[in-house]
Amino acid sequence: MATNELLDTTIADLAPLIRDRKVSPVEVTEAALARAEELQPKLNSFITILNDRAMNEAKEQERAIASGNYLGPLQGIPIGIKDNIATAGIRTTLGSKVLSDHVPDEDAHVVTLCRQAGAIVIGKENLEEFAAGATSNNPHYGAVHNPWKLDRIPGGSSGGGGANVAAGVTFASLGTDLGGSVRIPGSLCGVVGLKQTFGRVSQRGLMVTSFNGDHIGPMTRSTRDAALVLQAIAGYDPLDPSTVPVPVDDYSDGLGKGLAGLKMGIPSDHFFDHLGPDVAIAVERAIAALEELGVTPVKVALPTMKYSAALRIPGMADGIVTHEPYLSSSRQEYGPDTLYRTLAGQFVLGRDYSKAMKVQRLIKEEFARVLQKVDFLAAPTCPVVAPPIGAKNVSMGGKEFSTRGPGAGYLARNTSPSNSTGLPAVSVPCGHNDEDLPIGLQIIGRPFDETTILRVAHTYEGVSPAQGRRPSLN
Amino acid sequence: MDIDRKTLRDMLQLYQGIELSDEEFDLIEPELQSYFDIVEKMKELDLSDVPSGRLLRASEGGGI
Repeated sequence: MATNELLDTTIADLAPLIRDRKVSPVEVTEAALARAEELQPKLNSFITILNDRAMNEAKEQERAIASGNYLGPLQGIPIGIKDNIATAGIRTTLGSKVLSDHVPDEDAHVVTLCRQAGAIVIGKENLEEFAAGATSNNPHYGAVHNPWKLDRIPGGSSGGGGANVAAGVTFASLGTDLGGSVRIPGSLCGVVGLKQTFGRVSQRGLMVTSFNGDHIGPMTRSTRDAALVLQAIAGYDPLDPSTVPVPVDDYSDGLGKGLAGLKMGIPSDHFFDHLGPDVAIAVERAIAALEELGVTPVKVALPTMKYSAALRIPGMADGIVTHEPYLSSSRQEYGPDTLYRTLAGQFVLGRDYSKAMKVQRLIKEEFARVLQKVDFLAAPTCPVVAPPIGAKNVSMGGKEFSTRGPGAGYLARNTSPSNSTGLPAVSVPCGHNDEDLPIGLQIIGRPFDETTILRVAHTYEGVSPAQGRRPSLN
Repeated sequence: MDIDRKTLRDMLQLYQGIELSDEEFDLIEPELQSYFDIVEKMKELDLSDVPSGRLLRASEGGGI
C-alpha cells in the first residue's frame, strides 16, 4: 500500500504496521503534512500546521520504536488538536483575533496524554470563533469547508477536526463539545464523534466557555479508533475538579460482543421533531438495522424535554463571564456572531439561572429513569445535513430555524441535552442523502458506560450504508 | 420585551463598559428573545422543591 493510501485507513489498521516497523511514523507524518498542505486551500481546516515540530516528533517516535520502546496504538499516528486546547509553545488562538498571539506555557492534560502515547500533533485546527457556534464559519481565519461538498459547513465548533478526519488528513482530532461541537461535525462530515461522560476526561487546558457541560472528545474514522483515543485520554485528573475517580474501562474490549439482549430506547419526545426528511429516513433505517442486529426497541417518553431550551441559560451566563476580560478592551476584535450572542448573557438573572439548573435536574432524572429500562437511546445526531456556508437559517416544515449567531440552536438541538445531563453520546455515520451529504446516528448511554455505546456504534458501523465511503474532494 | 431598550443598554455600559448603537442592539435581540421565551416557558413549572442539577461531590478521590 502506498504511503498516501495509508492516510485513508484507520488507527487500528495502521498501528500494527507501525509497531512491526513495516511503516515508519516519519513517512506517515510526511504524507499527512503533505495532504494537509494540499487540502488547506480547499478545506481551511487548520489555523496552524506544525511541519517541523511534527516531523521532529515523528523522528523521535521512530527512534523509540526502533529501540524497542513501543508505546501502543497511538504511537506515530498523526492527529490534530482544536485550537482552543492549549499546546505548550504553540499558538492557541481559540479561533479569535483577541487571542491571536496567545502561546500557552503548558500542554492541556489531554495533549500531554496523547504525546505520552506517542501521537504526532500535526496542527491546530480551525473552529468557530471561541467555539461559540455550530458552523465553523470563522470571521478571522476563514470558514472551514466540508470535504463532502466544499460549499457546505462541516458543523462546529470543531469543524477543522471533522473536516481533517473525513479527508484523511489526520487519523484523529481532539475537539471540544459544549453543545454538540464534536458530534455535529461528526454527523455532518461523516465521521465518528464521541462525547464521553462529563468527568471522564480532563478539561484542564481547555478554555472552557461554560463549566456546565464542556467536554474534550475525539473524532475518528471508526468507532474502534474512538475507543483507542478515549483509552489514552480518559481518567481522573487531580488538577481538574470536574473529573471523577471512576475506574477506566477497556473500551476496545466489548466491541466484538454483538448486541443481542440489549434494549434500545427510542425517544418519543424532542429528538425526532423538526428533522429533514433525508435524516428521518436514514435514522429510521439505522434503527431497523439495530433491531436486525438483535436489539429490542422500546419507545421511551422524555416529556420534560419540552423545557430543554432552559439548558442554554447557564451557558449564556457563563459565556459573558468567560469573555469579560476581553469584551470592554477588545470588542472591535470580535466577530458579530460571537459578540452579540455573548452580550445577551449579561441580562440573565440569577433567579433564572437557578431555575434552569433545576430544570436540568428534572431532565437528568428523567434520562436516569429511562436508562434504567433501556441500555441506550438512539436518535438523530443533527436534524439536517450540512447547510451551505453563510446560511443563517434552515427552512423545515414551513418553519425557519436559525443556524448561526444570536438565537441559533437548531443544529445542536439533539446534541446539547447530553452536555447538560453529562451522559455519554457518540455520533456514527448512518448514510448519505441524494447530494452525498453524510447523516449521523446518535447513541446515548448511561453515565460512564462508554463501553456500551461504543459497542453499539461499532456493531452498527459494520452494516451502515456509510461504511467505507469517503469524500472525493473534487 | 417588558424592559425598555435604554435600560438594557445602560446595563451593558455599566457592567461591561460597552456602548451599543440601536442597530447593534438589534443584533442581540434574537438571543435575548430566546432567553425571554425560555423564562416564560419555565413559568409552567413549579420548581420550588426541585434540587439543583449542579454537580455536588465531597472529597472524591481525596481531592487536592
